Amino acid sequence: MDQLKVTIALILAVLLQWTLRNVAEPFAYIDFPLIIVVYAALQRDAVKAILFGAFSGLAIDALSGGLLGANGFSKTLIAYVVSELARRVYLDNLLLRIPVIAGACLLDDLLYFGLHRLLGQEPAAQVMLTVSYSLIGTTIAGTVVYLILDYFLTERTSGGGSRRRETLSARRQSRRRNPIRLGK
Amino acid sequence: MVERSQQEVWRLTPWLAIVLCVANFVLMAFDARADGGQRVIRVWAQTAADFVQSPVTTVTSSVSGYFGSIANLRTASSENDALKQRVQELEVELKAKEDLATENQRLNALLNLQEKSKYKVLNARIIGRDPSVWFDASIVNRGSLDGVKLNMPVVTNGGLLGRVTAVGPLTSQVDLITRDKSGVGAVVGEIAGSNALGVVMGTSKRELIEMRYVPGSAEVQVGQVVYTTGQDGIYPAGLKVGEIVEVESGSATTPHRIVIRPSAGIGSMQEVGILLYEPQAKEEFEKQITPPTKPAKK
Repeated sequence: MDQLKVTIALILAVLLQWTLRNVAEPFAYIDFPLIIVVYAALQRDAVKAILFGAFSGLAIDALSGGLLGANGFSKTLIAYVVSELARRVYLDNLLLRIPVIAGACLLDDLLYFGLHRLLGQEPAAQVMLTVSYSLIGTTIAGTVVYLILDYFLTERTSGGGSRRRETLSARRQSRRRNPIRLGK
Repeated sequence: MVERSQQEVWRLTPWLAIVLCVANFVLMAFDARADGGQRVIRVWAQTAADFVQSPVTTVTSSVSGYFGSIANLRTASSENDALKQRVQELEVELKAKEDLATENQRLNALLNLQEKSKYKVLNARIIGRDPSVWFDASIVNRGSLDGVKLNMPVVTNGGLLGRVTAVGPLTSQVDLITRDKSGVGAVVGEIAGSNALGVVMGTSKRELIEMRYVPGSAEVQVGQVVYTTGQDGIYPAGLKVGEIVEVESGSATTPHRIVIRPSAGIGSMQEVGILLYEPQAKEEFEKQITPPTKPAKK
């Protein structure tokens, strides 16, 4: 059920990215699909995160004046890097996720810009300004979105009204064992 | 058993990431080729996005229009007084213009001139902007079903805005002249009366464009208007591009560097016009040019 909810969140993020810039220009500085891709990667579902990154990146590129595949490339790479990071480092706390989304946004922007320059394309926006605004916008929006997603993607315990993250307990169990030794 | 399958997934992940990254890179390299064609994936995505973008644009424009009219009411009284005075002034001007118009009609009839519209203009509404902050492409609600074709020029009341770079059945993508890859053949001043020919291209500043390759010997001044020449094979001649705001004078061997402010209000446009103009095919154009005859050898 959580898989379906995150997939719906990704589709909504792509639709928001397609439409919101025409409503108000500052929304262009929020990368909604990246927020969801990083969230999926933080769930330690690397395959899903990578596929999300490729799909959402292509969906954005298709309506953009930039190169087709540039967002797909950068978001796929970021999904992989964040999922590898989440596998090795404890990142289930919201405060720890803030630098992750900020770093992902910075890397995404620099990769996107670098790929265009590599292939002889000059983006119309000023680099420093765009990267800075994008970093601020995406980090703030990402923090809010993660709070909302955590609220909807957790289940109520039978005892009372408190919520717990389903993935947290599963991860702790797996971390106590060494999966490499078990595989031998 | 569960752990082993998890381990297999971890082994699979880097390969999946590499395959997808390589696929995206190949797509990028293919897209970067300047062959002037359009990509099928863009057409599909535009068509799908139209079902979301059109209703959202309709709702937001009606909501902003409603609140805008409320805000305008606050200044309505003072504006009303000023407008009354302006109406009186205009009535006097109108009388003079009517006399001139009558005279003009009479002279036109004498010269047997017929007013002709050069190109058919298709009105379109901007329903979407570039989802990536790095570029400024726009999506309009007219597509191939309305007769729009690739590379057709797009204009606003002010002047030239850009050209169509992808056409779906219901929507089209418009690339603006502010993009660095957009080259517009242009001339400073009237086509027949100036030798200051050059190419207008985008800069990293969104609100300004640059005219290059204008000979340093040509006379160029701030405030002059730049028009299209029609020699680029995309835009027709005589469209207003913008006004010169800065000139770095060249010399006999170096060209001028001319900065232009586009006439079209690029940041605030909502309605645009697509010129249903198709330039002559290159082969037809070349056929018309007769090669110079070589003098016979003695």
